[in-house]
Amino acid sequence: MPLGMRFTRLLVRIVSEICITVGAVLLLFVAYVLIWTGVKADSAVQGQLDRLEKRWSQSTPPPARPEASATPPAPAPAPAPARTPTADAYEDGKPFAVMRVPRFGDGWEWPVLQGVGAAVLKRGLGHYPSTARLGEEGNVAVAGHRRTYGDPFRDFPELRDGDAVLLNDGATRYTYRIVARPYRTVPSDVGVVEPVPRPLRAGAAPFDGPGRYLTLTTCDPEWGSSHRLVAWARLEAKASVTDGGTRAVHS
Amino acid sequence: MYGWIWRHLPGNAWVRAFISLMLLLAVVYVLFQYVFPWAEPLLPFGDVTVDGDGAGAGTAGADK
Repeated sequence: MPLGMRFTRLLVRIVSEICITVGAVLLLFVAYVLIWTGVKADSAVQGQLDRLEKRWSQSTPPPARPEASATPPAPAPAPAPARTPTADAYEDGKPFAVMRVPRFGDGWEWPVLQGVGAAVLKRGLGHYPSTARLGEEGNVAVAGHRRTYGDPFRDFPELRDGDAVLLNDGATRYTYRIVARPYRTVPSDVGVVEPVPRPLRAGAAPFDGPGRYLTLTTCDPEWGSSHRLVAWARLEAKASVTDGGTRAVHS
Repeated sequence: MYGWIWRHLPGNAWVRAFISLMLLLAVVYVLFQYVFPWAEPLLPFGDVTVDGDGAGAGTAGADK
């Protein structure tokens, strides 16, 4: 075989092997993003929920009461064992509450962690550190992944007026109600998380004075980052967890 | 490339196949453990906060 032909064959083989390799790596990467981040998030989220439950159950031994006390059917907020307030624990990167949104499904239960860094959002929802605490006057802002890492806010556009957002910080169960359809905006619209939300589109947030608000943010479109989706809620009710039956954080 | 690796592995065909499989698993492990976690934030799926610069950081002095 002439030298030139052998060289050409070698070149073609190398190029095709590189193409196959790159293709295989890209496929693996897609599998990583679609599947593996969810698998990792599942165990991370479970770990955070376990951690909350453990911390809460250590705060105060639950008072003796019949184990089979009637528990309200879903979508009641998840009651947790009786305890003293632990709401002072808003430590960076640590969970401090559990969120449930019946609209997203009965099993939808996510820990809320302090901070909105990438590492935090891999383990649960993130609380904007500079915003209000649960139940406080002002605006409690929480961010979550739309896609990847368990897809917590995948169904975000389904939120409607009156939908409940239930939060439990171990001492108190908060019921917030969504006040409007999700508002689509640009990433720089930081007014949406202000104590009295002031979005770029005036009137998008139906609040005209101070109050106890909650803001949820995620990205839009589902797999993009050009925009954000924002949903606002207003505090409707607050109940001590001791009012409910004793039940684990997990539903 | 793959032919070259195959020719330089020791043992008979079965041993070579076994070593190849181990090499493949090692490569996949390194990708999932180190390369993909590094590459994933370069994609926009993590930008879920309003922050003004789209970098995924918090707003108003929030931490990254």
